Amino acid sequence: MYGWIWRRLPGNVWIRALISVVLVLAVVYVLFQYVFPWAEPLLPFNDVTVDDQ
Amino acid sequence: MRARDSTHTHTEHAVPGTDGADAVAPTTENGEQQHEEQTDDGSAAPSPAAPRRRGTGRIATAVGVFGELLITAGLVLGLFVVYSLWWTNVLADREADKQGNKVRDTWAQEEDGEPAEFDPKKGIGFLHVPTMSKDEILVSKGTSTDHLNDGIAGYYTDPVKATLPASDKNGNFSLAAHRDGHGAKFHNIHKIEKGDPIVFESKDEWYVYKVYAVLPETSKYNVDVLSAIPKESGKKKAGKYITLTTCTPVFTSNYRYIVWGELERVEKVDEERTPPEELR
Repeated sequence: MYGWIWRRLPGNVWIRALISVVLVLAVVYVLFQYVFPWAEPLLPFNDVTVDDQ
Repeated sequence: MRARDSTHTHTEHAVPGTDGADAVAPTTENGEQQHEEQTDDGSAAPSPAAPRRRGTGRIATAVGVFGELLITAGLVLGLFVVYSLWWTNVLADREADKQGNKVRDTWAQEEDGEPAEFDPKKGIGFLHVPTMSKDEILVSKGTSTDHLNDGIAGYYTDPVKATLPASDKNGNFSLAAHRDGHGAKFHNIHKIEKGDPIVFESKDEWYVYKVYAVLPETSKYNVDVLSAIPKESGKKKAGKYITLTTCTPVFTSNYRYIVWGELERVEKVDEERTPPEELR
């Protein structure tokens, strides 16, 4: 999978490495900005109030 | 055949000088022969094995991709831990500082005689619990998740409405805040013991409470802990109480942790906002 992506990146090793880093950062950004804030309330880790529901 | 020939000549001549050279020659020839045989084997090997290898190759690729997906899932879960225990704290602390500064600015503005808009959602004061945290905790209205995620302590409006200390009525000033992540303002709630002070700072007063009961584990449906006279804490008479609620055990929210305090005294805030002795 990652090998497949690597082979499809243009340029020499350094350019590919640079693009890979950018891709990884983009994925981390999307996770932190959108995916995790969406997922967090669905998980039972952080309910702090007492409630009758 | 050659080897036999050479041994034959070698016995005929019996010259010690050529002996070594003759002895070396056949072995190298043998070696080359063996080598040739090996390369023959090597070049012959792929043709029958090729289809088999293509078959296992597909499985190997599938296993490889599956493995990579597992590694990816592990990394994503790891990142989620980083997100919930670190990044949400960064965001919440930033937001709480901002809101806290705004509240203090508003107070200063009112001191100067300018009327400022009072919005309990933006903050009614600060909570100081020296045994739990060195920092002050902004208190504002509401305990919705979005609201608490700003790194504040919220006072309950639902299911039991909190009685604010400023109202000067008997009742329960009930608060909730996060144990982990999002500022984790009540993270060290387990360090609070009976007799420890909880100080609430409003614009004009210091309300000094003293902890008198701790409930380390209760159901999340136990809304009675918020009632005006919290019976579970052992109180039977109306009074001015404070209740801190958060989740427990740490990192999960299976149960709720409750700390009760009772108002001991109220001090006027002086010009320099000198904190009461409990905070010094």
